[in-house]
Amino acid sequence: MHNEVKQNMGPARAQKSLKATATAAAYQKEWFEGLKKRVESGEDFGYLNADVPMEILRAMDIPFVVNQWWAAICAAKRMTPKYYALLNEAGYRDDLCSYCATAFAESLDPDDRISGPWGGLPDPTIAITRLTCDCQSKIFELFAKNHGAELFVMENTVPRKVPLNWWELAPERWEELYDTDRLDAAVEDLKALINYLETKTGKLFDINKLIEVMDLINEQESWYKKARDLIAETSPAPVTVVDTINAVMQAQWQRGTPWAAAHAKSLYEEIKSFVDEGRSAVKNERFRLMWLGRGLWHDFAFYQNFQDKYGAVFVWSMYLAMGADAYIRGNVSKDPLRALAARYIGMEDFLHMPPWNSGWFLNEARRNRIDGVVYMVPENCMQAVEGSYFTKKALEEAGIPVLIFKADPVDARKWNRETMTGLVEDFIETRIIMGGKK
Amino acid sequence: MLGIRDCAIKSKTFQRLLECYSDREKVSRIYRQNGGKVVGELGCDVPDELVIAAGMLPVRVYAEKESPLVEADKYLEFSFDPVIRAQFEKLLNGTYKNEIDFLAISNSTDVIIRVYLYLREIKREEPDKSIPPLNFIDWLFTRKLIYQTRNEFIAELFRQKLEEWAGRKITDQDIAAAAAICNEDRAALRKIMALRRAKKPRITGCEALVIIGSAFFMDRKEHTSLVNQLAAEAASWPEIDGVRIFVTGSAQESTDLYELIEKYGGVVVGEDHDWGDRFYDRDCNMSYSPVRAIVDRYMLRQFSSKKAFVSQRVKALDEDVDSAGAEAVLFYINEYEEAASWDYPSQKQSLESRGISTCAMMKMKYPVYENDGLDLKIKNFIESSKG
Ligand code: SF4
Repeated sequence: MHNEVKQNMGPARAQKSLKATATAAAYQKEWFEGLKKRVESGEDFGYLNADVPMEILRAMDIPFVVNQWWAAICAAKRMTPKYYALLNEAGYRDDLCSYCATAFAESLDPDDRISGPWGGLPDPTIAITRLTCDCQSKIFELFAKNHGAELFVMENTVPRKVPLNWWELAPERWEELYDTDRLDAAVEDLKALINYLETKTGKLFDINKLIEVMDLINEQESWYKKARDLIAETSPAPVTVVDTINAVMQAQWQRGTPWAAAHAKSLYEEIKSFVDEGRSAVKNERFRLMWLGRGLWHDFAFYQNFQDKYGAVFVWSMYLAMGADAYIRGNVSKDPLRALAARYIGMEDFLHMPPWNSGWFLNEARRNRIDGVVYMVPENCMQAVEGSYFTKKALEEAGIPVLIFKADPVDARKWNRETMTGLVEDFIETRIIMGGKK
Repeated sequence: MLGIRDCAIKSKTFQRLLECYSDREKVSRIYRQNGGKVVGELGCDVPDELVIAAGMLPVRVYAEKESPLVEADKYLEFSFDPVIRAQFEKLLNGTYKNEIDFLAISNSTDVIIRVYLYLREIKREEPDKSIPPLNFIDWLFTRKLIYQTRNEFIAELFRQKLEEWAGRKITDQDIAAAAAICNEDRAALRKIMALRRAKKPRITGCEALVIIGSAFFMDRKEHTSLVNQLAAEAASWPEIDGVRIFVTGSAQESTDLYELIEKYGGVVVGEDHDWGDRFYDRDCNMSYSPVRAIVDRYMLRQFSSKKAFVSQRVKALDEDVDSAGAEAVLFYINEYEEAASWDYPSQKQSLESRGISTCAMMKMKYPVYENDGLDLKIKNFIESSKG
């Protein structure tokens, strides 16, 4: 669950074709300006890790920023080298948790208000994270201290049930999907969060507002589902991951707002119009590729490197597909907190635990008629270590070749485009073309 | 040169502890031959009390220093820390098949959670791999009532699993009795701690690791009585002069690192890792209901480097270092064992502001002797920490 925005570095810039990407980029800047004004006027301001159930803050109208989104803004503004240097100066290692630690590193910058992205991050009064890895509580505490914010943490539990089709159970049958006690514990955690926020901000949590937020999210994600299905069944594909990742992620952080639901609709309609007009991303599409791992934020153009030479197109990333399969929860009004619990506790399971993730990747690969999978295993994050052996095995036993390599999704210092391009070209030539898939 | 001294070697009591520490399957093998069941523990938070209450022998899963990592390289990503890799290897390559009957895994750190998930998946997908029956103990370590309540539920689940494994009920009386056994062992180990932390220590760090770590591989009652006996004997062992060092960071499953420190004139007077002092911190409160007492002990003992905030770790280390009377602190952290790296700058700052010198060894290779130049670094550290 770590995601976000555009960022182009390196030799070539990624070619993007969607209006929805541009509107989202414009909107988020405008939204951030509005947020800064609210914070300046003295409102409480939350800073949340990506896996925190932000729906609660949305329903309470507490302004917030998501850590991973902000990290990507920092990366897009090319601030990360400066920030990693600050970490180093302060005695921290600069090769750990680059993604999650960017904002903490930024908080060490005395000039943030002058040179920080978009005028720097206003001081949060509340920092919230979940304990989905050993480092997050530490990084968030350090971050909160530097900003003078209060820290609130929520726990994480590990599933005992091993359902093999979570994406079928998640929308309606979550009591079957999860161990009952895990849902119970997550609801308790949500209540504690609400309690804390009510006390801290003086605002009332209104369950009807949460229902509205959840309904808007269902609407938004349903458009992603339609978009995912449309791309899956259309060859040549109307768009590539370069188009969809940014358009989806920027709106995901705004989920639960009318803007985000409308944006998702416009994204679908735009893709649909491409299909209707017979427009495709790559005319000579021969091979459909799947990207596993976090987005390659510092080199989006990399994804397009294999289109001209091989007609190889990255049509799938988890960002759109997670929207399609992981977020929708029906029948919210019966027990909105439980429905929310059934969403947020699953993200870890779905993405990072075999067989939840491996089964889903295989299902998606089949649905999208994937010819080969390029799988980036992150260099410095234990949370994102997710049983790559099992995923590779599941896919390859189904006849879909997999290339695994290690890299860091944000840290451009470790990225060598030529080497990586060579690896993928070799993979396409030897495993996909000569492997006899087509 | 300290390490393990002649006075220790000559002691029959110490010899028995050393035997169990060195030949780690010696006791469990006999135990199994006599029809007993052995529970392997992966992670430092498996409650021994419940295993003992079930009438089984708890033993700690440990790494083999030299074995090639065929299975680990096949199943694990590169970012698993080296000790866990070596432990995983033994769980898959058949070593543990003949040593343990069951495997209990505690939610002590991210990497162990992954190992549990992978083992579960291998069992499902590749059943011929003969992995022992598993149980995962999903503790929550954040100190809130809602998590304490959940932990009681989790402890009950483990109890039920042990009942299934043992084929018999575990009563509250069984648990209380086992908690008492473990409390007595902890009390005995605290006598050793006192000798270690005395103005003039009577026990070296290497000796202490043997005395503590042998508990993982033998009957707990026997361990207690040996440790009590040894505490009496060691009171008259020669006093030790040396730079008083506190070790924090990665768990030390062998005496290798301490041997180096003590070779160059240091004496390790304390540590906060799980093969040392942290093992016997905090008793089960016998006035609580048995399950509550277990949860209380595992939830509220000294913070682990993996499951605590930086501020908690700073305070804990300051306190530990004070009570050990240490002059210098060695941060020793294995590669890919990242969490403690986030605590380090704040801990260092706090210690140095109080006149304690520190030395950081990060991204260390395993085993200890794989690190080029470590000898010299340790020598320099000890030299520079002298009065
Ligand atoms: S381990 Fe991964 S998820 Fe955890 S803080 Fe580091 S980068 Fe983030």
